[in-house]
Amino acid sequence: MTHTVTYLGFIPLLPLAGALLIGLIYVVTCQGKQISERLYGILGCVGPVLSFFMAVKVFFALLSLPAEQRFLSHKAFTWFAVGDLDVSMGFLADPLSSLMLLFVTFVGSLIHIYSIGYMAGDQKFGKFFAYLNLFLGSMLILVLGDGPVVMFVGWEGVGLCSYLLISFWSEDTDNVVAGNKAFIVNRIGDLGFVLGMAFLFWGIGADGFDYLSLKANAHNLTAPVGVLVCLLLFVGATGKSAQIPLYVWLPDAMAGPTPVSALIHAATMVTAGVYMVARFSFIYAHVPAAGEVVAWIGILTALLAAIFGMFQSDIKKILAYSTVSQLGYMFAGVGVAAYSAGIFHVFTHAFFKALLFLGAGSVIIALHHQQDIWKMGGLRSKLPVTYWTMLIGGLALAGCPPFAGFISKDEILYSALANGHVGIWLIGVLVAGITAYYTFRMIFVVFHGSPRDQEAYDHAHESPRVMLIPLLILAAGSMFAGYANIPAIFGGHQRVSHWLAPSLVEHHPHSGVGLEILAIAASILAFVIGISIAYRKFTVQVDEPDYSGIKKFAYHKFYVDELYHKVIVAPYQFVGKAISRVIEPYVTDAPVQASGWLYRMCGLAFKVVQVGYVRIYAVYMVIGVSILSLLLSRSLNF
Amino acid sequence: MQDIMAILPLVATITGAILVMLAAAFESFRKEGISILGIGLFAFAFFVQLTVENGPPIAPYETMFNGMLVTSTFTKVAGLIILGCGFFSALASQTYFNQNEGFVLEHYCMMLFAASGMLLLTMAAELITLFIALEIMSLAIYTLIAADRRSVLRSEAVLKYLMLGAFAGAFFVMGSVFIYAGAQSTKFADIGRVIGESGFLTNPALVGGSLLIVVALLFKAAAFPFHAWVVDVYDGAPVPVTGFMATAVKTAVFAVFANFLVINGQLQEGWVSYLFYISVLTMFVGNLIAIGQNSLKRMLAASGIVHSGYLIIALVAINSEQFTGSTILFYLAAYAVSTLGIFAALSYLGGEGEKRHSFDDFNGLAKVRPYSAACIAIFLLSMAGIPPTAGFMGKFYIIAGAFKGGYITLGALGIVSSILSMWYYLRLIIAMYFREPEEDFEVGELTLAPLGTFVLALAVFAISFIPVAI
Repeated sequence: MTHTVTYLGFIPLLPLAGALLIGLIYVVTCQGKQISERLYGILGCVGPVLSFFMAVKVFFALLSLPAEQRFLSHKAFTWFAVGDLDVSMGFLADPLSSLMLLFVTFVGSLIHIYSIGYMAGDQKFGKFFAYLNLFLGSMLILVLGDGPVVMFVGWEGVGLCSYLLISFWSEDTDNVVAGNKAFIVNRIGDLGFVLGMAFLFWGIGADGFDYLSLKANAHNLTAPVGVLVCLLLFVGATGKSAQIPLYVWLPDAMAGPTPVSALIHAATMVTAGVYMVARFSFIYAHVPAAGEVVAWIGILTALLAAIFGMFQSDIKKILAYSTVSQLGYMFAGVGVAAYSAGIFHVFTHAFFKALLFLGAGSVIIALHHQQDIWKMGGLRSKLPVTYWTMLIGGLALAGCPPFAGFISKDEILYSALANGHVGIWLIGVLVAGITAYYTFRMIFVVFHGSPRDQEAYDHAHESPRVMLIPLLILAAGSMFAGYANIPAIFGGHQRVSHWLAPSLVEHHPHSGVGLEILAIAASILAFVIGISIAYRKFTVQVDEPDYSGIKKFAYHKFYVDELYHKVIVAPYQFVGKAISRVIEPYVTDAPVQASGWLYRMCGLAFKVVQVGYVRIYAVYMVIGVSILSLLLSRSLNF
Repeated sequence: MQDIMAILPLVATITGAILVMLAAAFESFRKEGISILGIGLFAFAFFVQLTVENGPPIAPYETMFNGMLVTSTFTKVAGLIILGCGFFSALASQTYFNQNEGFVLEHYCMMLFAASGMLLLTMAAELITLFIALEIMSLAIYTLIAADRRSVLRSEAVLKYLMLGAFAGAFFVMGSVFIYAGAQSTKFADIGRVIGESGFLTNPALVGGSLLIVVALLFKAAAFPFHAWVVDVYDGAPVPVTGFMATAVKTAVFAVFANFLVINGQLQEGWVSYLFYISVLTMFVGNLIAIGQNSLKRMLAASGIVHSGYLIIALVAINSEQFTGSTILFYLAAYAVSTLGIFAALSYLGGEGEKRHSFDDFNGLAKVRPYSAACIAIFLLSMAGIPPTAGFMGKFYIIAGAFKGGYITLGALGIVSSILSMWYYLRLIIAMYFREPEEDFEVGELTLAPLGTFVLALAVFAISFIPVAI
């Protein structure tokens, strides 16, 4: 049923090889004369771009097969085999992973190219590209892995790379703290993933622990184990994809260079959780209750992050919260069993979120690393390309028809409504309005009105072409990516949903046209209201408002970070200190020290036996032989 | 003809040895040329061994030369390990003798002869052949130790080894005689048949004979209570030779040991309970000797005793019905890589006249030579059995095999012993990384040994990925 193709293995291998090569060159040359940035740039981009072409090849290879046979696999080698668990380093390309591959490599490549401009002149230019390649390679392993274990390799890989890249400018303590936070919060989620994997293996793993075997055996999974597996895996997803309660790392992750933020938010890392839930749709489909939990957590995250987004003043943090919020939509989608809608939103989101981040990067570079929107203003005339592309990105994010974000978001909201989740739908529409509001608050404040910081404004200049071209390509994507899945009501064929069908286990709701029109109308209405409030408030000249009351509460993000610190971090540190000061020296260490002392004394005593005289050694031998002979003679029976 | 093809690596090694001996007679071949020739011949023999078609994966007594020799995947892999050990020891020798006295042109020739004896040892399926192979190996090793006639230390070492070795050799011959008396043959196949027909414990001649042979093999493997020579001899030998002895000789001896015990299931069963105690005592006595040592070479010699203890665990857990020897060979390969690595590093870090030899001499090495210190740390962690190194996997396979064979106590004691061994392995790491250097050591011109060290450090990780069925 599956076809074997060797080149599948090269897709993750190319960026990984690039990472190794660039890393080695960097290590060798960082002390002395450095090689040119141009060479690093070419080396860094060649792997991702080639991977993209291979992803296209994979896509067309799948397209040429009949729908139900669209599985390409490649088993590189047997990794380990213990008992029933036989894990090989295998790759699987099916419609789901091929779609992910396409945009991950495409957007990833563009971000690599953009970085050549963004990172120009940085001391650690080579190191940056090594990490970036490693990041993309890990993500490709995650997407292409043919089973949970291989996925976990990539899963951990992206976790590591996010840590390395967020704290890339490690001279600043804040960046290192942010990197640590991302890593630790992710580790908490990873524990959920590992436990989920263990229960999954315990449940149905005996007959093969890859997706295809698991899918075939999914009906054998008992309901309690199924719920447990789904929820534990979702804990993993909340870590990687920044959902309640583990979303706190993502806004702090803005400490990294902007291309890294774009890569984390658009092409790699955060989409992993959504992909994982869709990947395991064959299990989630069996336990709708778990799906409901996923959907509610998703939509609540969307609401919470959207509220935070309304009050942020850092351009990157606004975008960060918008990502958290959009991820919430995706989980709401996969939670209500509309897996293809969720994945489609991942797909369109990759384009406009990468665009917005890269655009924000362009603004930040133009203003010499100024990120506070209340210090910007009127940049429309100075940065025309950036403005127009970001406007397109903003419209897509806010859900303006017919941009990409509208079509995919509407698909999710309609699915929620059609599947009877009216509450989720209502919150979703509300969030759509808020999204439109805060997105255009940002765009109006940054680009319209008159400059708030005249000096910075005067020095601002449009970014180099190597940065603008990716922006233009992504803008085109943000405009047209939605057309891949136009719903039937607009005369489309939902090509993406049909394409994904063989990989997923989902039932498309069949409800009346009326319901669909209602959903679309509500979305458009929410968008119009949101954008018009923003227009009224922010096209006129305003400065940073002083927040009070509930607004101040929201400005400080409901003090969630402080709460976590008080409730979890501080007691944990207290217990740690208590253990290291009381239990360790007196309870655990003392016996260890004593036994160590005893052991050493025995050793010194035994040293005496090594007298150095051959005759004594011969005596040992004779004694040994004698004892052995005596014992053996007793066991003889004749 | 097929027989000849199967022993081609042996032929290559012996021919190589003779070639080096002839080359040494010419004026134009001096130290450097001979070194390159010796290293190259080991590499050549390794590839011959690699390419030769070597029969079925499990060692049944499909015999060659009228039942004198046997080849299987087991002997092939053992041969590869031995020749690999030879190659890296030769690399180390080249560098060692750049800054140490006592080089003789016949050095590489003797190494090749020793290797050929070992190869023959792994293939021997008949007691007389076995004895001859044992002696070829031993005589070449004696020469290697004491090639520097002026050194009292070397002479003392070789004398001890020679006397006790002769003692053990006598046991072996006596054992062969008893076995011949019991089975009317010296061929493994015939001995196995006789045991199968009349039983093992009912035949005193066979029991006595096997006792004496096992004692001789335990002596060569440095198992308790036949271990006492090891520390003094290893200490007295030149560093690369010590490395060669610790790895290649051990590989050959354990290959023979396994081949001998699987002659017949009853033979192995009769020995299991004694080997059980011997392995436990070997591990613990080895550990106790090792922690008392201040010299690195002596510590490594003592730790070699401990590793023999683990290998005897594997011998206890042999399932003679389906013997593949894969756990034994894996452990030997993992051990060989780490040990050779350390000895290769010692042969260039030691400086002139093995000046740097005690733990204290290695204080602060990480600051002066970070790469060498990192490699040594990798080797030590592998020997201590820390994942993800080959040493860890080797111990894992052996202990898992013991559990699977029902020897829970033995496996547990193996784990305890491995914890105890951390003491002296970590001691060197602490010295290298957490102490301040006291005296600066000049190290001469570095040539091939550092390269070998680096390759072996990579191999420590590479080998751990080879899957082995327990």
